[in-house]
Amino acid sequence: MDFILHDKETIAEMLTSIGVNSLEELFQDIPVDLLLKKLNLPHGLSEPDLLRRFEELSHKNKIYSSSFLGAGCYYHYIPSLVDFVISLSGFYTAYTPYQAEASQGYLQAIYEYQTAITRLTQMDVANASVYDGSTALAEAAIMATVATQKKKIILLEGIHPEYVEVVKIYCWGQDIHFEIVMEDTLISKLDESVAAVLFQSPNFFGDIENVTELVQIIRDKAPKCLVVQVMTDPTCLGVLKPPGKSDIDIFVAEGQSFGISPSFGGPGLGIFTSKQNYLRKMPGRLIGKTNEIDGEREGFILTLQTREQHIRREKATSNICTNQALCALASLIYLVSLGKSGLREIAFQNFQKSHYVKQKLETIPGYQILNKKPTYNEFLVKCPNINELIEQCKQENLLPPLIISKYFPNMKNIALVCVTESNSREDIEKFIHAAQKASKKNMGGN
Amino acid sequence: MTSNLTLIFNKGTKRSQHNFIPEMDIDRADLTEIIPSSFQREDLPLPDIPEVEIVRHYTELSRRNYGIDSGIYPLGSCTMKYNPKINEVITRLPAFSHIHPLQEENQGALELIHQLSEMLIEITGMDGFTFQPAAGAHGELTGILIMKKYFENKNLKKNKILIPDSAHGTNPSSAKMAGFSIIEVRSNDAGEIPLDHIEFAMQQGDIAGIMLTNPNTLGIFDRQIKDITNIIHKYGGLCYYDGANLNPMLGICRPKDMGFDIVHLNLHKTFSTPHGGGGPGSGPVGVTKELVSYLPDPSIIATEQGFVCREKTNNSIGRIKCFWGNFGVIVRAYAYILALGAEGLKRVGQIAVLNANYLRVLLKEKYHLPYDRICQHEFVLSDRGIENDITTEDIAKRILDYGLYAPTIYFPLIVKGAMMIEPTETESKASLDNFVEVMIKIYDEIKTNPDLLKNAPHNTPVKRLDAVLAARKPILRD
Repeated sequence: MDFILHDKETIAEMLTSIGVNSLEELFQDIPVDLLLKKLNLPHGLSEPDLLRRFEELSHKNKIYSSSFLGAGCYYHYIPSLVDFVISLSGFYTAYTPYQAEASQGYLQAIYEYQTAITRLTQMDVANASVYDGSTALAEAAIMATVATQKKKIILLEGIHPEYVEVVKIYCWGQDIHFEIVMEDTLISKLDESVAAVLFQSPNFFGDIENVTELVQIIRDKAPKCLVVQVMTDPTCLGVLKPPGKSDIDIFVAEGQSFGISPSFGGPGLGIFTSKQNYLRKMPGRLIGKTNEIDGEREGFILTLQTREQHIRREKATSNICTNQALCALASLIYLVSLGKSGLREIAFQNFQKSHYVKQKLETIPGYQILNKKPTYNEFLVKCPNINELIEQCKQENLLPPLIISKYFPNMKNIALVCVTESNSREDIEKFIHAAQKASKKNMGGN
Repeated sequence: MTSNLTLIFNKGTKRSQHNFIPEMDIDRADLTEIIPSSFQREDLPLPDIPEVEIVRHYTELSRRNYGIDSGIYPLGSCTMKYNPKINEVITRLPAFSHIHPLQEENQGALELIHQLSEMLIEITGMDGFTFQPAAGAHGELTGILIMKKYFENKNLKKNKILIPDSAHGTNPSSAKMAGFSIIEVRSNDAGEIPLDHIEFAMQQGDIAGIMLTNPNTLGIFDRQIKDITNIIHKYGGLCYYDGANLNPMLGICRPKDMGFDIVHLNLHKTFSTPHGGGGPGSGPVGVTKELVSYLPDPSIIATEQGFVCREKTNNSIGRIKCFWGNFGVIVRAYAYILALGAEGLKRVGQIAVLNANYLRVLLKEKYHLPYDRICQHEFVLSDRGIENDITTEDIAKRILDYGLYAPTIYFPLIVKGAMMIEPTETESKASLDNFVEVMIKIYDEIKTNPDLLKNAPHNTPVKRLDAVLAARKPILRD
């Protein structure tokens, strides 16, 4: 199938208007030896055949009845209206709102998104989004080096390992010095040369840091160093103290948990916020409120574009252009759908349910919870036999937790378990049952 | 001062109960036993609004926004083509939308990425692809980092890069993010790149290569493209192809055959995935055999045991994004290619160029066309000869009054008061004729009633907005 509207006669008519004899003649500038003879691809498919093909292909992926896997991508319930709203064609078939007056709907929605995110995080400014959590953190590192004019950043152990890799590659691009340190050696590494300390909380292992205290420690030793916090599941902000109340300079997060389906890890949403002082160093688009030139009404417009690549080219603060607008819209709809009471309840349930599973696991022989700090919806558990646990989960049709040695080869027999509000009591009982069976098998029982 | 539409936060109605929270089916513990109260927030200033109000609010907002489903969207270099609806159904199949990036049973997803890779290899001529980059500019950064690593491995100090003045704005900023300094190449009167400039620059010895797009932002196919890439290669440089303008080349001519070593594509332009108001996109990067080992991890290969990630290579630049890239966008692009097939894709290239040239010949009757020759997917008009102090922006705003969207304006920078027009292949002749008619009416209005343009737009939800005020006193939230 195709989506072309001309018939043969129309094409002939148009060719005549142009003054050429054939479609081929339109490509007269291309040297003959560069013209492709034939594209070696299959014939096109009709809609029903296409759908059948994709259904078959998708069946090679497994969907489970419930998930205990997180590690940067989370299962939370998505209200039906989220997908309905983002599918309205005024939103999903629009381009970047360059012509503000014909794009007020989207501009207002993203202005509302910026507002919702600043209210949630209590940061001064939120941009219109970047690609995802990992690139948000990398952009934050770059932004900190620009704001401080220093070329060294420190990452605190506990950041998502794939995020660390992304930060590393962005830093390598600009010859920024990069070091990962353990919490107990952080103070000894801090000095005047450090542009920023980056940390994740709740971190990759589930630990929730005492953020206020951590910021104070860094400020005492290196007052000009920026403090950057990242989060992979910001639903915890329904309960946790927001970064803006802990004096964080730049706060970034992966926003997939806010109404975006897992979709094999993308698209997600890069939430990017900072203090007011760093506004002009911020990457990405910003929507501002303004007035009509000759009128009374307020309206919304892309603003501070002198930071951006299409105005400043090689002097831009970042190269980002297309971002994740539709995902930002989805997260806005999610946040207003849940609202104050709903988001608080979601965070509450995540705390409660994961805590419940932690307690249950500790009663089973061979399991040991490794987190010493408070946790949100993820935690580390030492298992008697992790492969058996994975196997038993699959038998219960549960998506098993992460075997953490995938990223940290020295951490053997340890699972990173994620429990959210989407896990019902029945799912949780199945999981506990799987853990019990794995424990018994390891001890030689059945 | 009145705001014409209340923000969602200021809606008066409150909901009485919650629809989206599962029932709490375990015993509630005291929260402070799990998390100290000093770690908890005091207030959460989000509204609690009933579902019906939310849906009505955003339905109204969506009406105040132009999309490709509203009509022609002639933004140059943006390739605003129709987004097939079936792609939305396919990407929402649960076994695509609901799978976790770290789950083991993922063969369908890996096969899909691998198959799309094979098809893009055929379409571009390249030898390997990565799908990690989330958008075009992200693909550029990936490609340029590959260049950087390539020269580092060869122990060659090449820290400059050639970029024509007709390039997209992201090219120089991406190159800068990879630590390169930029040498701008001026186009000649024909809108093409002078070979002697390239040759001279490359002789200096510290240039890594060139980034360019062909057809370029004037819509012109550089006839000497093979000579350009040959010169770069002669001095050991690499050639980067910005695929933002690939649409007219589909089934016609391939970047690899033009001599390019690295390309990025915009799946959200050429391959019909929706722009969504500015993303999510997907910017896969393809390279020649020599550079395949430099692609980011993970890279998917087919084995007898199924689809797996290749072993990490020492050359690989590493990881440019978490997980696998924007998979949901990748699914849509693959569906588009399978739907169109070989013949359909070639037709896209042909009709995109037919439509652009049709508009070009009709509009040049009234407006100044600085590069008057056959174009590819787009062409650029200038403001020369426009009377009564009317600017390109005035014209753009007036177009909105006729219920259409405006072209890209003031870009490329090499054309004064530029209007860059790309109709794409999915416009009918009637739609193109209507656009021409509007442009001609506006041309007459410039002479007869210039105030109509200076105060435009009149028929949009708001009149012309004050961009200067917005930047001087930024109000970025409520």
